Amino acid sequence: MATELIKTRKLAVGYGPRGKVLQGIDFTIERGDFLGVMGPNGSGKTTLLKTLLGLLKPLSGTIETHAGGGGRPLFGYVPQRESLDTHYPLTALEVALMGRFGRIGMLRGPKKADYQLAHACLKQTGMDARANKPYRALSGGQKQRVLIARALASEPEILLLDEPTNGMDVSSEKAIMELLSELQKEKQTTVVFVTHLLHTIERYAHRVALITSDGSLIVGEKSKMLAPDVMARAYKEK
Amino acid sequence: MIELIQVPFMRHILLAGVFVAAGLAPLSVYVVLRRIVFVGAAVAEVASAAVALAVLFQLAPFPIALALTVTSFLALSRLADSQRLPLESLIGMLYAGGAAASVLLITKAPRGEANILNILFGNILTVPATLLWAMAGVFGALLVFQYVAAKELLISAYDPDMGRTLGIPVRAWNMIFYGAMGVAVAIAIRAVGALLTFTMLVAPGASALCLTGRLNRAFLVALALGVVSAVGGVMLSYQFDLPTGSTIVGLLVVLFAISYGIGQLRSAA
Repeated sequence: MATELIKTRKLAVGYGPRGKVLQGIDFTIERGDFLGVMGPNGSGKTTLLKTLLGLLKPLSGTIETHAGGGGRPLFGYVPQRESLDTHYPLTALEVALMGRFGRIGMLRGPKKADYQLAHACLKQTGMDARANKPYRALSGGQKQRVLIARALASEPEILLLDEPTNGMDVSSEKAIMELLSELQKEKQTTVVFVTHLLHTIERYAHRVALITSDGSLIVGEKSKMLAPDVMARAYKEK
Repeated sequence: MIELIQVPFMRHILLAGVFVAAGLAPLSVYVVLRRIVFVGAAVAEVASAAVALAVLFQLAPFPIALALTVTSFLALSRLADSQRLPLESLIGMLYAGGAAASVLLITKAPRGEANILNILFGNILTVPATLLWAMAGVFGALLVFQYVAAKELLISAYDPDMGRTLGIPVRAWNMIFYGAMGVAVAIAIRAVGALLTFTMLVAPGASALCLTGRLNRAFLVALALGVVSAVGGVMLSYQFDLPTGSTIVGLLVVLFAISYGIGQLRSAA
């Protein structure tokens, strides 16, 4: 089995030809990777993530995927939790259950096994005791755990997380990132997370993809990527 | 109530009210959650313009209104994905365009004003039997559709990006949702008028979301509130000789005010 899960060649991403955000992106996501994508606010991290997920079409270049069963890998997407509308009266379990929707089949309802798996994923993220609590009443860290459980419920080959610890206090941030580290170590889950927080990358990522101020991407081992001269390429004034 | 049912004319009105409530009230939960409350008002203006157009060219008003209403909803479903503009501004333009077209066409259409007033203020008292059975079929199918496609409708509204990553054709489901709503609204406007249609498309859902903290229950509570308002409104209008459509609307608003109060009290407790 190939160890490459995703490989991009000369990829350009953005919103239309005039809204090009990043270009010339060549990088690989390996199976079992723990990759942190970093860059200043507004540098195009979320745009890159959405393109990898297939939510945005590449402006040019290619994305090759090597899934276990052939075709496109199964993505477990964890969006920014603020993007979800809290007016929806859903419990933590109902949110986690959504991860099963792609596997249930069209116009069919979830079965007992789907509920069991959603419960198991909530347990894995430490949220099973709050399964029947309203999602909107949970704290930021608890919501994030539920969204990770939802992504896990889809039985993904790769977890993609958009700013998973944004706005959290230190202990919640630590708990979330340690949960992701455990998933990567114990289940060999491939984890790609986007963040603008340098200390999160420093503590947890194995490899780093850095968005530079000229709209390109450099990828490498953490030790090399956090060198001051490399970091300056991302944070220097345009 | 028994006396009411024994009068064939009133039985007819009662059924029309209940059918509209069964069709639109559960849908109103999504109308509120999707923040498309004014779609009903905007599409009523489009329906008015369609009637004016039909009167002007001496065509059958209902097919024209149905076609334009469904087209408007489908256009909104396509434009809902726009990155440039929030959906509410598009709804606003639809409202303004429909209203302006109605006025412009009405000035050139003989007897146009009477037809438009019929559309806007409703004629639940004059629902023909064929329309009544069409309502039973369409609104019954709509209820079944909402139950069977519950997960597709939920993910398309709540987290479309997640839906897409799971391989669910979110855009197609949104089009189906808006298309179904277009058909329901066109039929409801024809049967009971724009004001009752608009209110039935908002108030039961808003009330239900105040009363329950579970989405599944909200659909049932909305359905119950819609049916209670329809039956109660018809009874009150019969008892006190009031306009039926407006009485149902009034009752829906009163029930919303009570539900909102209960919701606030619960939040404070």
